[in-house]
Amino acid sequence: MKSTRATQEPAWVRYTLLGLGLGFLFFFLGLPLVAVFVEAFAQGWPAYAEALKEPETASAIWLTVVIALAVLPFNIAFGVAAAWAIAKFDFRGKSLLITLIDLPFAVSPVVAGLIFILLFGSQGWFGGWLSANEIKIIFAVPGMILATLFITFPFIARELIPLMQAQGKDEEEAAVSLGATGWQMFRRVTLPNIKWGLLYGVILSNARAMGEFGAVSVVSGHIRGETNTLPLHVEILYNEYNAVGAFAAASILALLALVTLVAKTVVEWRMRKETEMLTADLPAEKTS
Amino acid sequence: MSIEIRNISKRFGNFVALDDIKLDIPTGELVALLGPSGCGKTTLLRIIAGMETADEGEILFSGAEATHLHARERNVGFVFQHYALFRHMTVFENVAFGLRVKPRKERPSDAEIRRRVMELLGLVQLDWLADRYPSQLSGGQRQRIALARALAVEPKVLLLDEPFGALDTKVRKELRRWLRRLHDDMHISSVFVTHDQEEALEVADRVVVMNHGRIEQIGSPDEVYSNPASPFVYQFLGNVNVFHERVHGGYAEIERGAADGGATAFVRPHDIEIAHQALEQSLPATVQHVHPIGPVVRIELLHQSEIVEVELSRERHEALQLAAGQSVWFRPRQLKVFGADAAPRSTSEKQGFLF
Repeated sequence: MKSTRATQEPAWVRYTLLGLGLGFLFFFLGLPLVAVFVEAFAQGWPAYAEALKEPETASAIWLTVVIALAVLPFNIAFGVAAAWAIAKFDFRGKSLLITLIDLPFAVSPVVAGLIFILLFGSQGWFGGWLSANEIKIIFAVPGMILATLFITFPFIARELIPLMQAQGKDEEEAAVSLGATGWQMFRRVTLPNIKWGLLYGVILSNARAMGEFGAVSVVSGHIRGETNTLPLHVEILYNEYNAVGAFAAASILALLALVTLVAKTVVEWRMRKETEMLTADLPAEKTS
Repeated sequence: MSIEIRNISKRFGNFVALDDIKLDIPTGELVALLGPSGCGKTTLLRIIAGMETADEGEILFSGAEATHLHARERNVGFVFQHYALFRHMTVFENVAFGLRVKPRKERPSDAEIRRRVMELLGLVQLDWLADRYPSQLSGGQRQRIALARALAVEPKVLLLDEPFGALDTKVRKELRRWLRRLHDDMHISSVFVTHDQEEALEVADRVVVMNHGRIEQIGSPDEVYSNPASPFVYQFLGNVNVFHERVHGGYAEIERGAADGGATAFVRPHDIEIAHQALEQSLPATVQHVHPIGPVVRIELLHQSEIVEVELSRERHEALQLAAGQSVWFRPRQLKVFGADAAPRSTSEKQGFLF
């Protein structure tokens, strides 16, 4: 778009603003990302590969993936159910539910972790019963999954609520009036309409699940090779002055972040195309 | 299939959407629910479809209780104002939906589905669009596809919620006529909701005029237009001049002796005669404005600080040669009087009533 002289800012204003923005991005986002990879490869490719093959690092990568995968189905189920209820129905306590969904955003992750210690720790509310039945939650993988779940559950619901509200109930009602059962309606009408929004929410919550530090740190107990996820492992390696090991592990996380970014962009582009399809200008009516 | 609506009431919080509605819709009839927005017409339609539940009352389909039947089991075709086509399916799949979701035992074969869908698309004259997506169609085309989709399950009742509300005037007129033909060919009962009086009068066999959750009048289009049962119906259907008793001293004198004093007279703009000389029982006025609007000429007369709207045919206007500022005489050919209780007065009373 060509702007006229009257609406144009002076050149020095434009270049200062542009310089500030790009400079900030470079120092706070670009440089650290480069630094991670430079440090990881500081002693060459073999040392990097060696650091990743190290059993404790390998187990941390594995555990990170396991937790992310374990959390996913719960997040999808909760996210779709909550968004469905909020977007398509009116009920008492709806605004309370909306507020509660945002709770994990408001609460510090460390506090979130402490909640689970209070509930399931050996001194906690259910601690006695759990140890009597030899169920281990705190300082074990189940606790870490719970903590991650708490941190990540809002992402999908947050993504779907505005989307489903915008789409309204008409298509679902049409499906029912045509004889579809609840499940047929969901699978054939609702799900295809929200699939990109759902995928977007999955990507965001997955990125958060893999990167979560605070809440997981509290319930993990840091047992090497057993309850260390990648972010926790990076900290341990770094504290041991194992720079290459720490940065090699960090580079995996950074790569995940990049993949997430690309996936997010692709999905965003698809979603925009879909909305454009909905609001596209109508061709003229063919008069017969 | 006939529909009986028995004493249906519905509230949303403190708002009374429907208040004790009674209505019979015989088989094969095309009924219009007409009223201003918020009068409850859409709510009534959704209750018939089973998308909303009534607080009180019953719905009967062909004499059988249907109040508690699930929307999916009612076998009604529903057409939405904003089409509600499945946006991720092609036109073909949209129309096929109702057949594909049938239980396996009743579901037709793929070839049969294909045949029926193409037949329906032919019926709405859009078979050449089968592979398009809804977003690639115009509004009028979308609504015709929505109709084909609703008809695919062979409903006994067709319910249409402001079906042409989102379309422009020309397409709307075309679709109206087309809906009427379709209804006559399909031998089903249809109910459609509209706030457009012209649409209701043109298409329907019977018009149900609603206001504030109540039925004001039920009748044929001609009945409700030429013999409105209440002041509301008079004012809602077409333009009207309202004469209040207190404005017109002469008419109050004649009305003296009646039980109440708050009577009102209604006169349609095209039921008023204008002349250059005083006629029997006519009133003096000044011409304020002359607006030729298409086939008619609308004249605004000023009579005792009140505006009276008159519609003349072009021929009559040419004969009269009216211009702003002229002094003329006017008299109603036909008028209807309602008492303060909104009850219509008898005809004998209203002749000479005004003057």
